[in-house]
Amino acid sequence: MTEFYGLPNTGEFWHWTNALHFVLVGLAGGMAFLAAILTLRQHPERKRYWWLAGILIALDLFVLWAESPARWRFSHIWLFFSFEPGAPIWWGAWGLSAAMAAVALLLLKQWVRLLERIPEGVLGVVLLLGSLVALAYPGFALAVNTTRPLWNSMMLAIFPITALLMVLAIAILLGSTWAKRWEVWAAALSLGLLLAYPFTLQEAAREHLFREGLVGYALAGLLIAVAALLFRNPRWAAALGLAGAVGLRWLLVMVGQFQSPGL
Amino acid sequence: MARLGMLIDLSACVGCAACAVACKMENQVPAGANRLWIREREVGVFPDLTVEFRPEQCNHCENPPCVPVCPTGASYQTQDGLVQVDYNKCIACGACIAACPYDARYIDKKGGYADKCTFCSHRVAKGQQPACVETCPTYARIFGDLDDPNSEISKTLEAAGRQDVLRPDMGTRPKVIYLNAPSKKGLTQEVMES
Repeated sequence: MTEFYGLPNTGEFWHWTNALHFVLVGLAGGMAFLAAILTLRQHPERKRYWWLAGILIALDLFVLWAESPARWRFSHIWLFFSFEPGAPIWWGAWGLSAAMAAVALLLLKQWVRLLERIPEGVLGVVLLLGSLVALAYPGFALAVNTTRPLWNSMMLAIFPITALLMVLAIAILLGSTWAKRWEVWAAALSLGLLLAYPFTLQEAAREHLFREGLVGYALAGLLIAVAALLFRNPRWAAALGLAGAVGLRWLLVMVGQFQSPGL
Repeated sequence: MARLGMLIDLSACVGCAACAVACKMENQVPAGANRLWIREREVGVFPDLTVEFRPEQCNHCENPPCVPVCPTGASYQTQDGLVQVDYNKCIACGACIAACPYDARYIDKKGGYADKCTFCSHRVAKGQQPACVETCPTYARIFGDLDDPNSEISKTLEAAGRQDVLRPDMGTRPKVIYLNAPSKKGLTQEVMES
């Protein structure tokens, strides 16, 4: 039997607002990635995706700021006045900022003559690089915590792939037909990762995942599986895939805060 | 430069929690958070049975996992080897809390920053001992320079046999060192975990 006088700080340190960020940053990074690809390919739909990427990045940054207990100290400025390449969040801040700047310039350049000379391709490349960082950083931010066994290196694949699943699903729901076949691939890959993930965990971590999140994990898996199989009804597939990916990301952030009792 | 560390002799600790109270008072630790706590465990099986009172806190690791993940440089190591938080730079993102294997950090919601044991650096700067060390009625704690062969902590460590740290598997090289953990009394890990 173990008892305490005073308690270690074992409680949940990331709450629903942080889980929401891990969903929003996937949407923001993923949408910026789609916008970058469409820009580089000079796709006629690209302008709509600039708007979507800009709105989602702004929304994510606002949620991050609003949920922070440090929001009125304005210490977030230190994200850009420090050089911390070992910190995934530092990379995420720069990735999102670069993507936001590129999107803003792409949009402004339609109306501001001064910006007309900036080649769209250059901004597309900046947007692509920023979006890749934004897509990768959540997985890294979790996987670096070797003390949290549920956040293993699978996070590096699960978070970018589910982010792409989410934004491709949104693209389908918005009527972009080119997204259909990619969404099926993203759903199939997400499902493969979801099925493999429990086998990559230590026994105690797997037990914790199933004890705390079995229903959510199974439901997310079911939704993504149906999304991968529903070739003939892409809008339903998109809606289910989006819900499954959101649920999976949310669950991994919340349940993954478990620390194995190695003390 | 000094390499500051702390030694806790578990054979002397009686679990009175005076250190935890002193810490709370000295550092005005908010309700619901702790910089220091006592883990009380029955270990072993009769007749090889004992109770372990183990104070735990930030280990001021040599390889602190909380420092490199900090995106603003708010978590840093001093030249004395202490792991500290620059409250002005902290954005309370929780990355350091996620990285800590010892659950030693918490968010001070009122101040809006991550916080933890500082080894009472404000007292140490004045030549005083940390509050937990000064308060301990059984002298279970020794604080000092691990690199100074003439310091009390170094001499005690040299005279001691087995030394233990928390979660050595994490590779963090803690500077809070335990002496006379029950495992030293012949209780195997297997028995302790039963």
